Amino acid sequence: MVTGQTALSARGVRMEYRDRASDARLVAIESMDLDVGDGEFVSLLGPSGCGKSTFLKIVNGLLLATAGEIRLRTNGKGREDAMVFQDAALFPWYSVLDNVAYGLVCAGVARKEARRRAQPLIELVGLGGFADKYPYQLSGGMQQRANLARALAVDSEILLMDEPFASLDAQTRELMQAELLRIWNTAKKTVIFVTHQIEEAVYLSDRVIVMSARPGRILADIRIELQRPRALEVKRRPEFANYADQIWKLLATQAAPVGPS
Amino acid sequence: MARLRTANERLFYGVLGFVLITVIWEVAANLGLFRRSLLSSPLLIWNAAVTDFGSGTIWPHLTTSLTEYGLGFGAALAVGVPLGLAIGTFRRLNDFLSVLLFGIYSTPKAAVAPLIILVLGIGLESKVVLVFLLAFFSIIVSTMAGVQAAAERHHDIARSFGASRWLEFRSVVLPSTVPFLLTGIRIASGRALVGVVVAEELAANQGIGFYMDFFGTFLDTSRVMLGVVLLGTFGIALGEFVRRVEKRFEVWRPDIR
Repeated sequence: MVTGQTALSARGVRMEYRDRASDARLVAIESMDLDVGDGEFVSLLGPSGCGKSTFLKIVNGLLLATAGEIRLRTNGKGREDAMVFQDAALFPWYSVLDNVAYGLVCAGVARKEARRRAQPLIELVGLGGFADKYPYQLSGGMQQRANLARALAVDSEILLMDEPFASLDAQTRELMQAELLRIWNTAKKTVIFVTHQIEEAVYLSDRVIVMSARPGRILADIRIELQRPRALEVKRRPEFANYADQIWKLLATQAAPVGPS
Repeated sequence: MARLRTANERLFYGVLGFVLITVIWEVAANLGLFRRSLLSSPLLIWNAAVTDFGSGTIWPHLTTSLTEYGLGFGAALAVGVPLGLAIGTFRRLNDFLSVLLFGIYSTPKAAVAPLIILVLGIGLESKVVLVFLLAFFSIIVSTMAGVQAAAERHHDIARSFGASRWLEFRSVVLPSTVPFLLTGIRIASGRALVGVVVAEELAANQGIGFYMDFFGTFLDTSRVMLGVVLLGTFGIALGEFVRRVEKRFEVWRPDIR
């Protein structure tokens, strides 16, 4: 639900780092200005190495930007944001339940209470009955469901998703996209979703932010006016193809640069 | 089902191998293929065991060795694990101590046994210290390696959700270290046993190593062999114990080995 308030506001975010091999200073993100509205689903789309994951990590606080400012709206319930990581992001030594409860435990919730609060999220992501399983007993898609549940459990304002479906096979990936929209519709979160798949970005998002090859900057901010809720069939509609085509043309100008990635 | 069968097969063939060798040994001894006074025979060893366990004369030796082993190994664990975790965690401490540790780790500790006995005497203390030295470095080095092998992405998860340093340590570092630590314990348990026997054979008035050395000088090879059998049995029991602990801790990654 978009309330018109701003959930995230980034101004002049710049990221440089020193390349270990050449000792040269590389610019990962040139400068990024971005506003994300409350309840909006925004995708960051770009070629690999464009700094989209880096931006997410800066928002999350895992990395410190070289310059710029990021403001996040808080809901007063704890963390402002929670990250859904790429593949293999569960602790193999924890059961599904303890993995999902982990964010709450980090926030200081007692383990027993954290488990109790994690349970409904496990149901929500469709893992009911798997709470006591260990990650190795789950398929890749199920692991990413648990990964998502862990982020949802802390009930943050913003969900940061870092190519969460990148390592899934095509069918599971589609299924998970539809599932994500269903869950998003229930959980009503602001989502920033990083991907390099055009079709995934168009299908999921209210807005697609197209980024350039490194150094990353915003090439275009495209509003996707496809009706919600969106079934997977929407991918076969001509409007969908038009959006995908428009973005593809933008990205085609960003042929893979030569150099260290 | 398949797993169950292999476990049973392992036991079956293990026992079969043991029985076969024992029978061949006994038969060869009876056929006079070698001198019994040099290599003894299973029956003679059995007789020695019955005599010494029956009279109880072997018990003080066993308890002495077990005490030395237990104290030395326990101390190595008690000091090695926390220190290994600390060195693995704090970079400065690592810089400060790791070269020294790896240096001592790679020196043969048994070589300094005479020195330790000279300083600490032929009693319990020298044995405990030698066992400690032999076990300690395997434990600390493997613990350090375990801490440093914790995956960066797991650290990221902890930090991303704002885990305290203590929680990050408990939820990421400790579980990642367990497999390494158990390997270290397995190696250390064998080395520690060597420590007990070497020290006792060098200078002692009690213990299994002393028992073997003492009867060896009287050419009582059956009793020397009995000592070997007892050490072997202890080694097998210990190995099995560590294996079970490993299984218990690694339910979450059964396909790793």
